[in-house]
Order: sequence, then structure tokens, then C-alpha cells
Amino acid sequence: MTSVIDEERLSETFAALANSTRRAILARLAQGEANVNELAEPFDMTLPAISKHIKVLERAGLVARTHRAQYRPCILDPAPLAELSSWAEQYRPVWEARFERMDDYVTNLRPRRRTGRTR
Amino acid sequence: MTDDNAAQDAVVIERSFDAPVELIWRMWTEPEHFKAWYGPGGATVPVAKMDVRVGGSRLVCIQIATPDGPMRMWFTGQYREVVKDQRLVYTESFSDEHGNVLAPAELGMPDGHPTTTQVIVELEDLGARTKMVMTHAGVPAESPGAAGWMMALDKLAAYITAESRQ
Repeated sequence: MTSVIDEERLSETFAALANSTRRAILARLAQGEANVNELAEPFDMTLPAISKHIKVLERAGLVARTHRAQYRPCILDPAPLAELSSWAEQYRPVWEARFERMDDYVTNLRPRRRTGRTR
Repeated sequence: MTDDNAAQDAVVIERSFDAPVELIWRMWTEPEHFKAWYGPGGATVPVAKMDVRVGGSRLVCIQIATPDGPMRMWFTGQYREVVKDQRLVYTESFSDEHGNVLAPAELGMPDGHPTTTQVIVELEDLGARTKMVMTHAGVPAESPGAAGWMMALDKLAAYITAESRQ
């Protein structure tokens, strides 16, 4: 009964945070909305490169783009981070899915050892 | 938001496997087997280095496919208890590919309590079957150089939530 969704979302959040540029972008947005040009300022990076980082953060649900024409500033959505704060419970579905795979794996390693039991 | 709270936060999972205890022990201690089950859904484990003895180190890489290409996350730690077929205890911290623990300061965090996590695997021989209890808990860091990714995330979450309310 593990939730694949939860596991994928956790992975996405981790993947989004596993990059110093993206963490710096989040820290900047914590101070208020900013557009791509403003976010790019502190970095020695092209705008497309910064945009790519922002897209990763958007997919992880950490950043949203507002729809004011032209300007389209980015704003922070801290909800996925709040979910991570109880890290142990976030890890439960990950471990449960791992042990499901371990069970399948050991079963396949020993295919002929069943003792008259049926599934 | 202290080390004590982090230490109390734990996930405990108990389950039985239709396999002898020697085989389940190998699942945790032999890279070839460990790689087969450890990656979260859709992820692979391209690297699993394990020096399975007390004080020995470990380095595990989890690779996740993303639209931008593969994303790699590295975890390092040390084995604290190694009792074959019975009990395995190791620590885990987020790291780089060389096993250098990533400190909160590197994550843009204010200075805080460095924390790492600990995985405890207890096995019980039930003949053809094995009972396993896995505990994954936060533990206070013992060395000044050790630092925790999870605690850093706690802080980042708290910091960002507070900032966004203003």
C-alpha cells in the first residue's frame, strides 16, 4: 500500500534541492518575488540556464509563476518543504517500497525453495 | 528544531521475508545485492561502496531520471555495529561524490546543530524465514565535521515559511 506518488514527490523535492544554484534561488525568493532577470543577477550564468533551474523548482512545486503580463515574477511556495520537515515519516513510504523490492528480489533468487505453499 | 527532537523522530518498519537470515544479511552488506533493491522507485544505484566493519565507511549514489537528465544524490556514513546475521548499524549523511559531508552552511543555512541519521537493521533467524526490524532515526552528530542534510532541510523549511509570511 505504499504511495508511489509520495515517493516520487519526495524524490522530486530532493532533486530540486540538490543543487546550490536552486537553493540560492529559493533563498532569494524567500525575501520576495523576483523575475528571471533579477534571479539571474548574482550568477555567472545565461538566462536560459537560470530558466532551466526555475523550471525544475516549478515542477517540484516549490516555485510558481504569476500571470501578470510581461513581468511574470516567480514566487515561492514553501508547502513541499514543510512536508519534508518530518523527514522520518517522509521516509516511510521510501523504505516500504524498498523492502517490497527486496522481497521480490530474494524470492527470485530462490525460485525453487517453496515448500508446498501456494500464493 | 533541536538535535533531541531530530533524534526522537524515527521510522520503524518490521517485516518478514521468506528467506534465510544469511541471505537478508547479504542484501544489506553486498553491493551487488544492495543495488538491486535500494533505489527509490524509478531510481538506480550506480555506486554502492561498503567497507562493512565497525568504523568502515560507505558511499551510496542514487540516480534519478529527470527531464534535464540524470540527477545524482550521494550519501555517506560509517558502520557502527556489525554483527553478522543479527545487527547492522550505520550512519548516513548527504554528501558529495567524494564522501564529503555537505554542511548546512553550504546549503545557505545559518549555523546550527549538525545532525546525521542512523539506520539500524535487526535480523531474527526464523529458520527458512527472517524477521527484520529497520529503524531510521536522527542522531546528534558526534564530530564537529558531521552535518545533516535533513536538519538543514528542516531549517530551510522553517526559514522559508517564516520569510514568506512576512
